[in-house]
Amino acid sequence: MTETIAHPPESAGPGNKPVPPAESSRGPVTWLPTLVETLAAIVIALVLGALLVALSDPDTVETLPYLFSYPADFFSAAFDAVWSSYSALVQGSVGSWNRISTTLERSAPLICAGLGVSLAFRAGLFNIGAQGQMAVGFLVAGFIGFTYDLPPGLHTLVALAGGILGGALWGGIAGFLKARTGAHEVITTIMLNYLAVSILLYALGKEAFQREGSDNRQSPPVADSATFGSVADTHLGVLLAFAAAVGVWWLLERSTIGFEMRAVGANPEASRTAGMNVAKVFTLAMVVAGALAGLAGTMQVLGDQASISPTLAGTIGFDAITVALLGRATPLGTVLAGLLFGALSVGGVAMQASAGTPKELAAVLQALIVLFVAAPALVRGLTRQRATGGGSTVMAKGWGG
Amino acid sequence: MKKTARIAAVAAIAALSLSACGERPSDEPADTGSASESPSESESSPAAEEIDFKACMVSDSGGFDDKSFNQTSHDGLEAAAQNLGVQTGEVESQSDSEYGDNISALVDEGCNSVTTVGFLLGDATLEAAKANPDVDFSIVDFAYDKAPKNLKGLVFNTGEPSFQAGYLAAAASETGTVGTFGGLNIPTVTAFMEGFRLGVEHYNEQEGGDVKVLGWDGKDGSFTDDFEDKTKGQQVAEQMIGQGADIIFPVAGPAGLGGLQAAKDNNVKGIWVDTDGCVSTEYCDVLLTSVMKGMDVAVEEAITSSVNEEFNSELFVGTLENGGVGLAEVSDDVDPAVVEKLDELEQQIIAGELKVG
Amino acid sequence: MRLEIKGLTKRFGAFTANDSIDLTIEPGEIHCLLGENGAGKSTLMNMLYGLLEPTEGQILVDGEPVTFTSPSDAIDSGIGMVHQHFMLVPVFTVAENVMLGRERTRGLGVLNRKQAADTVRELSTRYGLSVDPHALVEDLPVGVQQRVEILKALSHDAKVLILDEPTAVLTPQEIDELMEIMRELKRRGTSIIFITHKLREVKAVGDSITVIRRGKVVGTVSPQASEAELAEMMVGRAVRLVVDKEPAQVGADVLSVKNLTVVDPRGHQAVKDVSFEARGGEVLGIAGVQGNGQTELIKALMGLIRPDAGVVALDGEDISRHGAREALDAGIGYVPEDRSHDGFVGAFSVRENLVLDLYRSDDFSRGLGLKLDAMADNARSRIEEFDIRTEGPETPVRALSGGNQQKVVVAREFSRPLKVLIAAQPTRGVDVGSIEFIHKRIIHERDQGTAVIIVSTELDEIYALSDRIAVMYDGRIVGVVSPDIAREDIGLMMAGASDEAEVNP
Repeated sequence: MTETIAHPPESAGPGNKPVPPAESSRGPVTWLPTLVETLAAIVIALVLGALLVALSDPDTVETLPYLFSYPADFFSAAFDAVWSSYSALVQGSVGSWNRISTTLERSAPLICAGLGVSLAFRAGLFNIGAQGQMAVGFLVAGFIGFTYDLPPGLHTLVALAGGILGGALWGGIAGFLKARTGAHEVITTIMLNYLAVSILLYALGKEAFQREGSDNRQSPPVADSATFGSVADTHLGVLLAFAAAVGVWWLLERSTIGFEMRAVGANPEASRTAGMNVAKVFTLAMVVAGALAGLAGTMQVLGDQASISPTLAGTIGFDAITVALLGRATPLGTVLAGLLFGALSVGGVAMQASAGTPKELAAVLQALIVLFVAAPALVRGLTRQRATGGGSTVMAKGWGG
Repeated sequence: MKKTARIAAVAAIAALSLSACGERPSDEPADTGSASESPSESESSPAAEEIDFKACMVSDSGGFDDKSFNQTSHDGLEAAAQNLGVQTGEVESQSDSEYGDNISALVDEGCNSVTTVGFLLGDATLEAAKANPDVDFSIVDFAYDKAPKNLKGLVFNTGEPSFQAGYLAAAASETGTVGTFGGLNIPTVTAFMEGFRLGVEHYNEQEGGDVKVLGWDGKDGSFTDDFEDKTKGQQVAEQMIGQGADIIFPVAGPAGLGGLQAAKDNNVKGIWVDTDGCVSTEYCDVLLTSVMKGMDVAVEEAITSSVNEEFNSELFVGTLENGGVGLAEVSDDVDPAVVEKLDELEQQIIAGELKVG
Repeated sequence: MRLEIKGLTKRFGAFTANDSIDLTIEPGEIHCLLGENGAGKSTLMNMLYGLLEPTEGQILVDGEPVTFTSPSDAIDSGIGMVHQHFMLVPVFTVAENVMLGRERTRGLGVLNRKQAADTVRELSTRYGLSVDPHALVEDLPVGVQQRVEILKALSHDAKVLILDEPTAVLTPQEIDELMEIMRELKRRGTSIIFITHKLREVKAVGDSITVIRRGKVVGTVSPQASEAELAEMMVGRAVRLVVDKEPAQVGADVLSVKNLTVVDPRGHQAVKDVSFEARGGEVLGIAGVQGNGQTELIKALMGLIRPDAGVVALDGEDISRHGAREALDAGIGYVPEDRSHDGFVGAFSVRENLVLDLYRSDDFSRGLGLKLDAMADNARSRIEEFDIRTEGPETPVRALSGGNQQKVVVAREFSRPLKVLIAAQPTRGVDVGSIEFIHKRIIHERDQGTAVIIVSTELDEIYALSDRIAVMYDGRIVGVVSPDIAREDIGLMMAGASDEAEVNP
C-alpha cells in the first residue's frame, strides 16, 4: 500500500508528456544495492568467521585467562590464527593456476545445478530436487561411460546427452505432477530425491554397475574416451557450465519460452488469462531445471574419470539451492555465487590441511553469508546502510504455488 | 547495532571473569609461530618429542566424527602423534568427487605419509601414489592387486572374530534365534555377518544346536542402507526381536546404535563391532562382547613404519594372530565354559582349521 | 480534535511528491481529498499516519506540533487509517482482528477474547456498524471487512479517521451503507479524511473538498461546486464527463451465446441458461451487482472456465470448448475485471506487459527468440498513443498508478484487430482523466465495427457507453433494455425485483 515510497508517482512529474525513456532502470542502478548488500553480507560473515577461528584456536584460548594482563598475547595469537586460516583459504582457492582450476572444476556442477534451481524459481517453482536429478544424471552418464566402447568425442557426447536427459526426465516428473495434479513441487521433488538415492543404491548393488570381482558399491571408472577433454588442466565441463549460464540467460531474457516462464512465475493468473498454458510452462521449466542438474551430475563422472558411488553428489544438489538464492535467481548471480561456494569449498580443504581449521568453518562461512543475504535488513542495520526499499528476495513465490 | 553492543558486553564480562583468575604461564613464551601447525594435539601432555615428520589423513564423505571407521582410523593418527611425535594434517571430504583434490592438498602441505579411509578413495589414492613416489600412502579397508611400492592396503579379516562372536551368540541365546543386520551390502560389512553366521553354524554342528540366524543368509539379508540413521537400525532390530531373536549383532556404524537401543528396550543382548562398545557406547550393560577391528592400530603401524623408513607395499591383513582384529572382553554373564571355548576357537582359527568366511 | 497541516513537503530525491501542503481538518467534519491517482494524496496521508517522514513542514494536533515516526505515534495522537487494501488476518475472527496488536490478556498470557468481543459489540452499536464479532474475516463480504477496519481504528479511540479510497472495492449498495456510516461517525464527533476521485461521492457526503494536483493544493471548495468544476480542478483542464458518441451503426451478430450454463468450483450454478447476442458496431452493457454471475460469464466466453452447457458462437463457429489462447487468437480482446490479478504481470515492465498475449506473433518473435527492438518500438508508440504515464518502457507496471496500469492493459488489447471486445470494469479504480480516455477508446473501437461487451457495476459507466443494456441477477439475464430506461428501473432489475422485460431498441 505504500508503493509510492519506492516509486514516486509519475503523473505528478513534470509535464503531461511521457518522460523520455530512461534506460537506467535496467542498468546497474537496480541491482547495485543488492550487490552492495551481498558484499556486505560476505564481509560480515568473514568477520564472524574470524571470531570463530580465533576462539577455536587452542593457542588463542590459552591466552584468554590473562587477556587483561597481557592483551597483546591474545591479539597476536588470534591474529595469527585468523591470518593463517584466511590466507590458506585464499591461497588454497585462487593462489595459483592449479588452485584456480580446481576451484573452477568444483564450481562447475554447483553453477549448473544452481542454474536449474534459479530457472525453476523464476517460473515460480521451488525445486528442491537438484540432488535427485543429479543422481539420475550421473547414473545414466556413468553407465554409458563405463559400459560402452565408443570413439572418443562421440562417447562423451552420448554420455553427456544421456546424463542431461536423465536429469530432465527426473525434473520433468515433478513438473508433470504439478501441472496435472497440482501436487506441490516441494513435496514431489523431495520424494524424488529419496527415490533417486534408492535407485542409485539398487543399481550399485547389481553386477552391471559394479567393478569386476568386487562387491563394493562402486562402479568401474568411466572410460577414457568418455571423459571431458581438458585445457590447461581444467576439464571442459567448466566451459559447459558457463555456456549453460549464457543459455539460461538467453532462454529467460530473450526467448518466448523464458517470457512465459517469468510471466507464470510472477503471476500465473494473468499468464493464463493472456493465453499461456501454465501447466505446460511448469512442466517445461522443471524439465530444463532437471536437465541442468543432470548436467551437473554428468560433470561429476565425466569430469575426471570418476566412478559412480552412493555419495558422489555430496551435498551439491542442496548447496545449489543456496547458490541460487545467493545469486538472486539470475544467471550471472548464480555463476558468481557458484564460484564463491566453489572457492570456499576448495579453500576450506586448504584451511584444514595447512591451518588445521575444522572443515565446518567453510560450511559456517557459507551459512553465514546466506543468512545475511536472506536478512538484508540485518545487514543494513549492521553496516548502517540506508534502507533502499524494493526488497529483492526471491523466496516468497516458491511456496505459493 | 544495539545487539552488537550487547554481544560485545557479554564477551567482555566473560573475558573479565576469566582474567580474574588467570595468570600467564611465565616460563612459556607465547609461541604463536607454531599456532597453526598442530592444533589438535597441543593438550596432550606426555607426548613424545616432536619430530620432523608430517602424517596426514583424508576421510571419506562420512567425516572423522562418524563414530565408525573414519573415527577409529583417525584415532590411529592421533596415537601416532602422541607416541611418535609426528605432526599431523587432515582433511574431511564432503563429496566423492573431492578425494583427488583433497589428497593433493595434503601432499602440497608437505605430508610425508597420507592415509586414506575407505574403498571409495581407492582410485584417487592409487593415482596420488603414482604421482608422488616420495610420499608413503596407506588406505584403510582396501586392497590392491598390484600396488606401487609407496602404497599399502590395510584390510581386516573381521570374519575371524565374528566367527567367535557367532559361536558366543549361539551359545548364549535362550530362544534359539539370533539376528544381525548391516549398513550396506558391501564386503567390508558382510564379512562380519558371514563370519557371524558361520560361527553360529559351527556351534550347531558341535553342540547339536538348532540356532537360527536372522538377517543374513550368506548372500543377502537385512540392511539399513544407511550408516547414520539410528531409527532405521532400531526398526530392523525391533523386527528381529519380534521374530524371537535375543542376540543382536548390528554392523551398521552409528545406525547400529539403534539396534543396541532396541536390545536394551527389549531386555535382550547385543554384540558391537569395530570398537569396544563398553568404551565407545553407552550400552555396555547389554553387550556380550565386541568384535574389534584394529584400524587405529594398523594406521599407527603404517605411520610408524614410514617414520622408521621401513615402509613397504605389502598388504596388511589384520587377523586374530597379529592382533589386528579380536574380541573385546566378554561379559561376566557368559558361562566361563563358553569363554574357554572361544579361546579354543581362536587357536583353531589361527591354525587355519576353521573356515571363517 | 483539530488537525492542521502546515507547509508539509515530501521530496524523493529530486522529485517533489508533496509541495508545501496546507490543510485544516475541523472537528466533526468530513473533509474530502480529491485528486487523480498519483497526485500525491497517498504520500500526504502516509506522512500523516507516520509511515513517511516529511521533508519540511509541520503537523499540528489541537495547535500542538507533533512528529510521527511510526503509525503507533499517529494512533496515540488519535489518528486512524483504513487502507485501500485491508490489513486483516483472514483466518482470525472480527474480534481477534480488532484486538490484534494490542492483545489484552488475563493472567498467564491467556488472550481475553471475551473482552475484545465486548469492545466490538459496544463500538458497533454505538456507531451503527453491524458486525458479528465471532465471524471469520475471510467469510465476510468486502463491505463488512471494511467495517472491521473502521472498527479497528475506532477501538484505538481515533478522533480523525483517514479513509483511503474506501469505495473502490465496494458495490453501489455498500457505498451507500458506507456513506451512512460516515455520517453517523460525524454525528459522534469523529472527523473523517475521505480520499477519493469519484466526484459523485464527494458531493454526496463531503463538508469541504480539497483538491490536490501534482503534489499541490489547487483549492478548497464547498460541495456545492459542480462536478465539472471539480473535474477541471483535478485534471487541470476541462474534462468531458459525458462520452461523445454517434448513434451506433449496428452490424450483424458477431458473438452469440445460447443457453450458457457455468458451474463454479463449489458446484454452484453461477451462470444459468444465459442467451444473448453481441452485434458489430454496438456496445452491449451488462449491468448488475457484483457477484451475480458476470465474472463467470465473461471467463466462460474467454475460455478461462469451461461452460457446463450451451454454445458460444463467434461468427457462427462454436468456441465454447476453446481455451484462452484460441479465444484471443480468434479476435476477442479482453480487459479483465481484476487487472492486477489477471490483467498484467506486476513485476514485468511496461514493454513486456504490452505484449503479454502477443509475444508469439511474428511481430514480436522469430522462432524462439523475442524481437526486443520490436517490443520496445511497440512500447514507445503505445505509451505515446495511450498517454501512459511512465518513466519509460522498462518501468515495472506495478510501479504505475492504477489508471496507467489499466491503460497498459487497454493499450495491449486494442493494439490488434478485434472482432469482439470484452471489457470488465474497464475504469474501476481509474482516475477521471483516464476514464475519459478509456471510454473514448472503447467507443472508437465500437465505431470500427467491433462488437463490444462492457461489464460494469457502475451504472454511470453502463449508461455512458451502452447501446443496449443487459441486466444480470442471480446468474440470469433478467432483461435487455435500452439506455433510455430510468435509473430506478434498472436498479430494481439489478436487485432482482423486476419482471422479465425484453425491450429491443
